[in-house]
Amino acid sequence: MQQTFYLAIGIFVAVYALLIWDKLNRAVVALLGASALILLGVLNQEAAVHGIDFNTIGLLIGMMVIVFICQDTGMFQYVAIKGAKMSKGDPWKILIALSVVTAGLSALLDNVTTVLLTVPITLLITQELEVNPYPYFLSQILMSNIGGTATLIGDPPNIMIGSATGLTFMDFVFNVGPVIPIIFIATLIPLRFIYGSSFKVSEDKKKRIMEFRESEALTDIPLLKKCLVVLALVIGGFMMQRQLHLEPATIALFGASVLLLISKKDLHHVMEKVEWTSIFFFIGLFIVVHSLVEVGFIRYLADLMLEATGGDMAVTGYAILWGSAIASSIVDNIPFVATMIPLIKNMAPAFGGDAAVLPLWWALSLGACLGGNGTIIGASANVVVSGIAHRNGHEMKFFKYMLIAYPLMLLSIAISTVYMYLRFLG
Amino acid sequence: MIAANIMTTQVLTVSASGTMYDAFKLVHERSVRQIPVLDENKKVAGVITPRSLMKAILPNYISEGLVEDVRFAPELPGFVQNIDQLAFKRVSDLLEKDFAAVSPETSVMEVAALMVNAKKHVESVLVVDDRHTLLGIISPWDVFKRLWDYSEKNRK
Repeated sequence: MQQTFYLAIGIFVAVYALLIWDKLNRAVVALLGASALILLGVLNQEAAVHGIDFNTIGLLIGMMVIVFICQDTGMFQYVAIKGAKMSKGDPWKILIALSVVTAGLSALLDNVTTVLLTVPITLLITQELEVNPYPYFLSQILMSNIGGTATLIGDPPNIMIGSATGLTFMDFVFNVGPVIPIIFIATLIPLRFIYGSSFKVSEDKKKRIMEFRESEALTDIPLLKKCLVVLALVIGGFMMQRQLHLEPATIALFGASVLLLISKKDLHHVMEKVEWTSIFFFIGLFIVVHSLVEVGFIRYLADLMLEATGGDMAVTGYAILWGSAIASSIVDNIPFVATMIPLIKNMAPAFGGDAAVLPLWWALSLGACLGGNGTIIGASANVVVSGIAHRNGHEMKFFKYMLIAYPLMLLSIAISTVYMYLRFLG
Repeated sequence: MIAANIMTTQVLTVSASGTMYDAFKLVHERSVRQIPVLDENKKVAGVITPRSLMKAILPNYISEGLVEDVRFAPELPGFVQNIDQLAFKRVSDLLEKDFAAVSPETSVMEVAALMVNAKKHVESVLVVDDRHTLLGIISPWDVFKRLWDYSEKNRK
């Protein structure tokens, strides 16, 4: 018992260190850690498989398939261009429009997909306007993480939390959702003061934006109709989750299979586009964290945390909110949340059961999702945008980004603190 | 039959130290498709292809396929300027180093297989010796022209 206890902690620390070091593929690191645990006898294979949250895995795969097929219709580009055109070519209004589109899309799609779809449109638009795209990149990074916080499917931490607790899509919309528009606006206001005056554009260039023909972005109308039907079914299904008694993975995978059937897409091609490295990263990580639960380390951590906060709900809530935010601004929020979930579950009895710790889940969600905004490596979407920016001749430097984004991240957590106080902890 | 039998030995080349203007002159006057680039030692340093030049004048997010289809966008103001500026760029900055080359002893079947199966878009195949000296070039039609001639001769 003693030996497996320390082995499990040792492997967990090694996996975490390698993830922070960030030189090896994260899926390889997680799978190596998971198999080492089985090889060294900390877990047997059955227990390891038991630790995998297949609802998270299924939901991720289902949404990846649906979104990949929908992408082919050009609907997301259509939305981005439509938004930009509604601003009549005014650069600041375009920034707002693209921010709204980015936040809205990332509430429904994963954040990386959202920025991969919208940032090229930003580049096209800013090149037509001949304005510096940097403020747009910055805002889109922030908004993808902010928008993703609002729903169960918007960001992996929420998927994991929802999956582990049975909290539904609408639970997230009602409990985390209301603060998101406030944070959205509170983030845009400082950006306006920092960048607003730098946008000077002639009427000529504004006209170029109006020359975009968004309807031509829609390349496959029959497929678009099928996608919209499936998307409506899936999102409707998520909203009615409680009444339907279905887990989100079932809804997403059912939608994915229906769309595969009616879109007649080549299955092999679609399956290649599923991000299997992310999927196997999750699988490995679940096993590594599960071993900590099995050997009793999480129980031990939970007791420590209860001792430190004196079992006070509000103190614990704020500690989780701020702690997750600071941690997620530096390290990947996925392993962090994967570890926090069993920790909070272990604390639940001390607070009086599952219903009593609900605020802690919202604190974890807000902290982990929003915290990613702090640095350019804080979340996957940040890294992807800075990569695209770099390859197109616009450097997003670590400290220059942090100088603006970190205070904005802290602002969003401060707003969340007030929200938590008014709504749950006060 | 081997590559040496079907290659064109008179190859128009440009020097790596030249400007793209030299390459454009060749395209205009002699209608070549792919231009081998020689370094100062007369070794093959790379090739200039229309595809790589198009990549050079398109923004990266389009050429790397983040948006493949830009039918909805008006032409970028920078696009035509980019073409103008291209003529003054050095050949060495735009050459593609990853090109298809075979030795003169390579079988024609292998050349054909290379053209059909190459992952990247192969325009023509260069024939070089083991010191990267250019010996000739084989365009896709060369394979057929020479093979037709050969089988016609044999029938007679």
